[in-house]
Amino acid sequence: MNDVPGADRRAERGPVLRKGVGIPASGWFDPRGRALGGFAFSLNRVTGLGLVFYLYLHLGVLSLLLGGERSWSDFLRLATSWAFLSLDILLIFGILYHGLNGIRVALVGSGLVADRQRALWWSLGVIGTIALIAATLHIYGSK
Amino acid sequence: MATIKTRPEGTRRRAPARAPRAGWSWIATTLTGIGLLILLTVHMVANHFVVASVGGLRSYRQILEYIANPAIFTIEAIFLLFVTVHAMLGLRGVLLDLDPSPRVQRWIDAGLVALGLLTLAYGYFLIGTLASRA
Repeated sequence: MNDVPGADRRAERGPVLRKGVGIPASGWFDPRGRALGGFAFSLNRVTGLGLVFYLYLHLGVLSLLLGGERSWSDFLRLATSWAFLSLDILLIFGILYHGLNGIRVALVGSGLVADRQRALWWSLGVIGTIALIAATLHIYGSK
Repeated sequence: MATIKTRPEGTRRRAPARAPRAGWSWIATTLTGIGLLILLTVHMVANHFVVASVGGLRSYRQILEYIANPAIFTIEAIFLLFVTVHAMLGLRGVLLDLDPSPRVQRWIDAGLVALGLLTLAYGYFLIGTLASRA
C-alpha cells in the first residue's frame, strides 16, 4: 500500500525537509527565524552534543580515581571552586533542558499529545526553571 | 478577525495524525531516554545531593564504598549502558542529517558502534577497578 503522498520518493537522497516557517538553509543549528518547535529542536541538539562531550569529560575526570586518593583530592580542590561549580549549573541546565524536552518530543512524536507541543514546552520549561533554581541553591549552598 | 467553521456542529475536534517516526532509532532513543530519566535522577541524587560534603562531591574513600555496593554497581552499570546507547543514537541522528551517501552512512554506523563499545569497555573497567579497591 502506497497511499501516503510522496511515499515513493522517501528513499531518494536529497536535503532533509522539515515543516515550519522560515527554517534557514544554514541548518538546524541556526535558530534565526524559527518557530518555537524549530528553536526547541535546535537547543535540544546543542544540549545533546554538549552532554556527549560531558560524558567523555566525566569519564576522564573519574579516571583520576585510578591514580589514588591524592590525585582525587587535588581534583576536589579545583572542583569545589566557584568557577567550577558554576559550570555544574550549566551542566544541570543542559540535562534539564534535554531531559524535559525529550519528554515533550516523546509525547508529541508518539501521538499521545501531538497537538499540545507548545503548551508542553512552556509547562515543562517552568518545571525545569524551578528545578534549576533549586539545584543552583543547593550547589552554591554546599560551598 | 472572521473565521470559517469547517467542523460540523456537535462534533469533537479530532486528534491530528501521528507525527512521522524515524523507525527503530526513534523508538530506541525514546526508550533509552525514558530509562535515563530514572537512572540519571538516581545517579545525580545519590552522588551529589545526599552527600554531606563540599560541592556534593564524595571523597576517594566514599566513592569506593559507594561503587562497591552491589545494587549501586548494577545501577551505575545499567546507567552507563543506557547513556552510551542514547548518546550514539543522538550522534547518529545529527550525522545522518548531513545526508551522507549510503556508503558513508555504513561507515558512520560502524564507527559509532565501535565508539560505543569502547566507551562501555572503558567505563566498566573503571567502575570494576574502583569497586575491587574497596
